[in-house]
Amino acid sequence: MKLLDGILFAMTALFRHRLRTSLSTLGVAIGVAAVVLLTSLGEGARRYVDEQFRSLGTNLLIVIPGHTDTAGGMPGLGGTPNDLTLKDAEEILRSVRGAELVVPISLGSETVANRERRKQVYVLGGTNDFIAARKLDIHRGSNLPELDWERSKPVIVLGRELAEDLFPGEEAVGGVVRVGDVRMRVIGVLQQRGTQLGLDVGQAALVPVTTAMRMYNESSLFRILIQVSERADMEATKDRVVEILIERHGEEDFTCITQDSVSGTLSAILGVLTLALAAIAGVSLSVAGIGIMNVMLVSVSERTSEVGLLRAVGARRGAVRMVFLCEAALISFAGGTFGLALAWGAARALRLAFPSFEVTPPVWAVVAALVVSLGVGLVFGVMPASKATKLDPVAALGRK
Amino acid sequence: MNETLRLAFGALTGHRQRSLLSILGISIGIAAVVLLTSVGEGTRRYILGEFSQFGTHIIGINPGKSETFGIPGVMGGTTQKLTIDDSEALERIPGVELVVPLVIGQARVEARGLGRSVFVYGVTSDMPELWRFDLGYGEFLPETDPRRASTVTVLGPKLKSELFGDENPLGEFVRIAGRRLRVVGVMAPKGQILGTDIDDVAYIPVATALSLFNMAELTEIDLSYAEGASTKRVVDDITALLTERHAGREDFTVTTQEAMLSVFGNVMDVITVSVGGIGAISLLVGAIGILTMMWISVGERTSEIGLLKALGATSHQVLGLFMAEAVVLGLAGGLLGVAGGLGLVALIRLGLPALPLGTPPEYVVAALGVSLVTGLASGILPARRAAAMDPIDALRTE
Repeated sequence: MKLLDGILFAMTALFRHRLRTSLSTLGVAIGVAAVVLLTSLGEGARRYVDEQFRSLGTNLLIVIPGHTDTAGGMPGLGGTPNDLTLKDAEEILRSVRGAELVVPISLGSETVANRERRKQVYVLGGTNDFIAARKLDIHRGSNLPELDWERSKPVIVLGRELAEDLFPGEEAVGGVVRVGDVRMRVIGVLQQRGTQLGLDVGQAALVPVTTAMRMYNESSLFRILIQVSERADMEATKDRVVEILIERHGEEDFTCITQDSVSGTLSAILGVLTLALAAIAGVSLSVAGIGIMNVMLVSVSERTSEVGLLRAVGARRGAVRMVFLCEAALISFAGGTFGLALAWGAARALRLAFPSFEVTPPVWAVVAALVVSLGVGLVFGVMPASKATKLDPVAALGRK
Repeated sequence: MNETLRLAFGALTGHRQRSLLSILGISIGIAAVVLLTSVGEGTRRYILGEFSQFGTHIIGINPGKSETFGIPGVMGGTTQKLTIDDSEALERIPGVELVVPLVIGQARVEARGLGRSVFVYGVTSDMPELWRFDLGYGEFLPETDPRRASTVTVLGPKLKSELFGDENPLGEFVRIAGRRLRVVGVMAPKGQILGTDIDDVAYIPVATALSLFNMAELTEIDLSYAEGASTKRVVDDITALLTERHAGREDFTVTTQEAMLSVFGNVMDVITVSVGGIGAISLLVGAIGILTMMWISVGERTSEIGLLKALGATSHQVLGLFMAEAVVLGLAGGLLGVAGGLGLVALIRLGLPALPLGTPPEYVVAALGVSLVTGLASGILPARRAAAMDPIDALRTE
């Protein structure tokens, strides 16, 4: 008896008991669908985060004030003995060869008002290069001016949604807003809407960094962004930045990280979470396997005389085993296929509901689902199949 | 009723292997749910415990009004400052007990050629009482005018052992950002809070911290209020007082410990329910397994059903018989699953004592309830099939 014969034989048997076959199939399908859908969601989240970072370029260095050796301590919380200053930023631009753009950043939250329309937003101090480093565009008007040491110009660039909120139906560029107590002229409006890496770009406002620091009466920068040129080596550039800042501060009271390390960590965390959830859902596959085993055991005992006949006409034990293994594998494989279809449909529905979030079953998950479902059938089919082979042909024929 | 149960048991023990497998399927699902909710509940308790060890009658005030990130004051500056004067004014609010102005910074603490970058907290003498921290030995910061800087420090035990090893640091000097400060005390070990080692710190007077970090405003003001006082009234008083002091602007954020605890509790509940829900998929699959087996068993026992009916059993009694079978399967699976789940929890407690686990008894009861419902739900279709059989036809088959 060949494998094909075995499959055909098994199929006939399965069709005879349509209901129990479809119920067993359904069990596997639910398990496979759950696993595939969860991995799709996890992968989607990971890809979303990855793309958010990638859209900003992979060659960004970020300098944060503060440094801690403490387990679990985050840099950038609270004060530091030596400020991260504009001079530091200038020195990095002058002495680090790989540094293409250096953007000093100051951040605070403040009320921005046009007469009685007011909004509490993040007001970010930067330079003209901020737009380039964060891959933003100016929708109308002009960019922030270049770094001006002497004067802090009272000008502001508004996020697109913020501009629409403050100047509904009007031209924002050229208008005047109050930021806290300071009057500033709107010189530009950003192109982008929505959130980028935790910063709501549409609702943000940009002012010259010197203006922001004076307004907040702060001596330290919030961050320094460094865009490293494509040709330069990231690690070497980072080392050079650290070296220069230690020289200037006398100690390492700042933290320098690469954008890549941040996105890598997030990506790894999301990957582990996805695997954990998929494994939890995967438990249901073992339950489905037990269901298959149970149905197969029934089927073996129901078909005792059939097995006896098979053996009597010369089928070997191996052939009998193959027939029942085929049956189990067919059930679970059909369940796997059906489950994939379910997951695919659900993913499609989710994509329609949330277009910005890409939920696509990853290829490896699809392959793994099919292989695992086939494996479930084979593993849980072994016991019933070997029970069938152990039947004594004479006794089996004799019964009933 | 008794009769029904006896018959159901008889049928189930007649097919021992298949009953056991059905039970096993349900029990895996129940065990998964019990284990996952235990992990969720344990984590929730752990986090709440971490927070409430500071006491639940604590309020934090941060500069800046930000609703976007939910972490007030952490990100960047504001135009209005939170000052020591503000913190002293808060002491006059009725019901307020202790007020501690707080400046947080990061700096390198050096002694005898060794150094370590840690968090440095500028606080006042009331800090240990407010946060329920204990002093190990020596003294805490002296009770002085919070505006006056002085050159003393109290070390966390971890920082102390990193810098001084086993030696007594009292009276020794450390350098923080170029300043010499005399060590007057060492805190008792407190361990980690949410992954951050809070023994790895140095405490200095708040005025010293302001000048050391060249800061003009406080990072935070923490205060405690009397057990009997109404949280809402205290928060309203704080808001009114500070708004008045800040020229009519509410440019600060008041966070009560209660609000924070309830936010965390809610988040954890959502996570626990969703993870438990994913675990419950196994339960659904197990239920389908019972349904299949019951369906088969109804088919096999057609003639038995016919006989029962011919002997005068009503459709209701037949229905009850098969429902009883399904319920017994479900409940047995539930019991086995709870036992398995609790066993796994116990094993994890032995193997990974650090992982917080908690199994509230109501969860166990709920799991059993769910298994009962699972059995009922999966029994309905087969039982109705059996009840609907015509006795004559049923007897004739075979």
